[in-house]
Amino acid sequence: MAAVTLRRITKRYDPGAKPALNDLSLEVAAGELLVLLGPSGSGKTTLLRCIAGLEEPDAGTILIGEREVTHLPPGVRDVAMVFQQYALYPHLSVRANIAFGLEVRRVPAPEIERRVGEAAARLGLGALLERRPAELSGGERQRVALGRAVVRQPQAFLLDEPLAALDAPRRSELRTELVALQRALGATMLYVTQDQVEAMTLGQRIAVLDEGRVRQVGTPAEVYGRPADVFVARFVGNPGMNVLKGRGRGAGQKSSVVDCGGLVVPATLESYEGEIHLGVRPEHVGLGAADHGVGTLEVRAVEPLGPDTLVRLDVGGQTLVARVPGIPPLRPGDQVGVNLDRQHLHLFDAAGERLA
Amino acid sequence: MSAGPGVARWRLAALVAVGVTALLAVAQTPLARAHYERALAERSAVSTAAYLALVTPPGRSGSGYDLPQLFIRSRALEALPGFRARVEVYHGTAPLVHATGDLLASETLDGLRRQPAVRWTGNGALAPLFDRDGWHVVGAVAAQADLPEGPRAAWVAGVLVFALVAGGLAAQAVGASPDATRAAIRRYAAAAALLGLVAAADVWAAARDSSDQWLGDTRLLLQEAARLLPAARSAPSLAVIAPDAEVVAGDSGGPAPERREVAGLPRASVAVRLAPGHWAELRTAPAEVGALGRLALAAALALLGPLGVTGAAWGARASAAPRHLRETLAGWGFLLPSALPLAVFTGAPLVFALYLSLHRWSVTEPVHPFVGLANYARLVRDPLVGRSLANAALYVLYVPVSLVLALAVALRLNRQAWGARALRTAFVLPYMASGVAIALVWQALYRPDGGLINTAVAAAHLSPLDWLGDPRTALGALMIVGAWVHLGYQMLVYLVGLQGIPRAYLDAARVDGANAWQRFRRITLPLLRPVTRFLLVTGIVGAFQVFTAIFVLTGGGPSHTTDVVTYRIYQTAWEYGQFGVTSALALVVCLVLGAAAWAEFRLLGRRGADA
Repeated sequence: MAAVTLRRITKRYDPGAKPALNDLSLEVAAGELLVLLGPSGSGKTTLLRCIAGLEEPDAGTILIGEREVTHLPPGVRDVAMVFQQYALYPHLSVRANIAFGLEVRRVPAPEIERRVGEAAARLGLGALLERRPAELSGGERQRVALGRAVVRQPQAFLLDEPLAALDAPRRSELRTELVALQRALGATMLYVTQDQVEAMTLGQRIAVLDEGRVRQVGTPAEVYGRPADVFVARFVGNPGMNVLKGRGRGAGQKSSVVDCGGLVVPATLESYEGEIHLGVRPEHVGLGAADHGVGTLEVRAVEPLGPDTLVRLDVGGQTLVARVPGIPPLRPGDQVGVNLDRQHLHLFDAAGERLA
Repeated sequence: MSAGPGVARWRLAALVAVGVTALLAVAQTPLARAHYERALAERSAVSTAAYLALVTPPGRSGSGYDLPQLFIRSRALEALPGFRARVEVYHGTAPLVHATGDLLASETLDGLRRQPAVRWTGNGALAPLFDRDGWHVVGAVAAQADLPEGPRAAWVAGVLVFALVAGGLAAQAVGASPDATRAAIRRYAAAAALLGLVAAADVWAAARDSSDQWLGDTRLLLQEAARLLPAARSAPSLAVIAPDAEVVAGDSGGPAPERREVAGLPRASVAVRLAPGHWAELRTAPAEVGALGRLALAAALALLGPLGVTGAAWGARASAAPRHLRETLAGWGFLLPSALPLAVFTGAPLVFALYLSLHRWSVTEPVHPFVGLANYARLVRDPLVGRSLANAALYVLYVPVSLVLALAVALRLNRQAWGARALRTAFVLPYMASGVAIALVWQALYRPDGGLINTAVAAAHLSPLDWLGDPRTALGALMIVGAWVHLGYQMLVYLVGLQGIPRAYLDAARVDGANAWQRFRRITLPLLRPVTRFLLVTGIVGAFQVFTAIFVLTGGGPSHTTDVVTYRIYQTAWEYGQFGVTSALALVVCLVLGAAAWAEFRLLGRRGADA
């Protein structure tokens, strides 16, 4: 297993267009499971294809271990890739699919036999070896795709939304297996997803991508608890963080506040004044009787989820979502008092970058 | 199942089908008898007129007849023992045989004069009576014929009752349990088939009787003419009495007509005694051989009833589930526009070809006798047939070669290269051009002196060849034309196939470490197997049917080296006029191609089942 290092990668598909990858740098340690999280079009898949060698970056360097592979063909990079739609060869049996990568490398037949057997045993594919992909369920196909990667014993695994095509119960089951597999193999894995729940549960570290750039790299706790900018704050979490536009006043004083129109929130401002983004997660918004707390807001919508309820509130045209336990007796149009947990306020500057 | 109003309606429909079918089957016989009576009357009128023209001596002036003699000869027909046609002879408009009978309408006589041909007056045939020069119409001969009812009429009545009872029971069984309905319909079908058979037998008998009666009457006329004109006793001079028949020297025999084969053709014949020890034979094509179509119709009509009852039974079952009925009807409705042309333009000719292949069918012969498998036997004996099949099999070998080329070009053009679109069009162009135009272009290219190819050959200091005229190169030259024409189409289909292969497969193979050849050999080629199979089967079938290029460029030569099987079919039909043999050959080719296509699908289909 090897580390994967990306240095200042830029990739454009069309000379005039916005770059798919924009001066992107990232390091994945040997044996680490790094999740690349971002909305569609953020460059996650392009990044993976550049590492695999299926695309060549216009600028920058890619290292696998100590070796520079930027311009090497995919076959010699010694990485394995799992595709979103599995890409199992439909005319070959499961056994031949798994063995393919070894056969084209002229691995001796007895060793192929042994390694395919091992991989199949590890992924529970023993009974399916003679079947064709068309005869398998979605989960089984994904296991075969994993088997095809595992059997190669590559330097790194590249997984492109491998669970996106599965239904929810299958997905969480396979996710657990995948983590166990990664631990057991000590494999370096880059895992692309746009599902932030998947990212939170899987990753030792998460890299959040947007518009071809890395916005933040960190543990799930860091990314969730201390988002580096407004994009990450909004993208991570379900629902994402509330980010209200406002103006900061009284920087450096004890009475410094952020004025968000319908809501004036006391917040510690060190030095920055002027336009500001105030972030607060829904679970850190408390509701009470009208005229209590930092302000009184009108209820726009109530969405009971069971254990808790999302209450959407109107802040002078902006929306503030509160997550409150149970099912409160609220209706749209009601006036409620709002309290924000001061310990969990996030402040971003006008450009969206985190303040302190 | 209880008999609801719906079922009652279906039962009524079934009953109607039974009744209509019985009516049609029974009506067959009188209709057919009328047809043969009319044909017989027409022939009798013509024969009698020819007889009278031959035996009546001339009058004192001009080319007319001696009227008293004509009168005597006409009246004598009545007295001729065994003469069965009822004839009337008119001189001008005056009846001679039954002198008190009605005059011939003068318009009718004028009509005969304007257009001297046999006509049907409603209850008899009217043939013009020419003067002795055969120039002017001086009168007419009317003839009526009656064919005997025969003992089969009783049979028909008996079987009809039987079929009606069985049909009634079957109609009653509509709406009952499927098993009971099926059994009743089966019984009815047997009865209806019997009815059809009896009706067909009646038709057949009427046809046979019409031939026999004409032979008998004409025999009497010939004998009478020989007696009256001892000088004209030779068979050829008497033959005018029997047009559409043959009068040849023959052996002695009785008055009863017989059936036998003459030079492979069935003939009805009777011995004619011209003078003591001097016999002739009168031969004609037996009408019953030409009646096969009517026989088939009679049998088929009888089976309409069982079909109708089956339909009604299905309708009764389906109307219990109206949605099912509607959907089935709608389904057939949608199918009809495409199924009907297929049946009419493919199915029917195929069946007709099968019929032709079992008959001697030549454009120069009036009858088309059944010959069994003789046409097929001829194919086996004809060395040119084997040769043409071998040539076609050899010619077909260009298909795999052009497929390889087409795939290579398609792989090249599949990349989004500059000019790929224009090149694609250029490759497809020959496929869309007229076959004759292409052949003419290649004719110019292959020309032995001054053709582009030989010019190039000469420039390379090689000896030029007569590409299309040399037995060693002619077929190869044609194969090159074939490959060139089809390359574009095959390339296009391959291109579509290539674009249908998801890129992820090739990406996965690249990451797995497969080089370009391994990706092609192990991913692309197997995934293209259905395309290859399609192109191979259609290509081989198409190549086997090559005609235009051969017709234009070589005409099967030199010395039959390019004589392929379709060319053989063409020649047998349109140059030799042997449609029976042609149909046999065409069916053999059809079978060979069918077997080849099946084998190809089996061979290539195994492993690519789900690709």
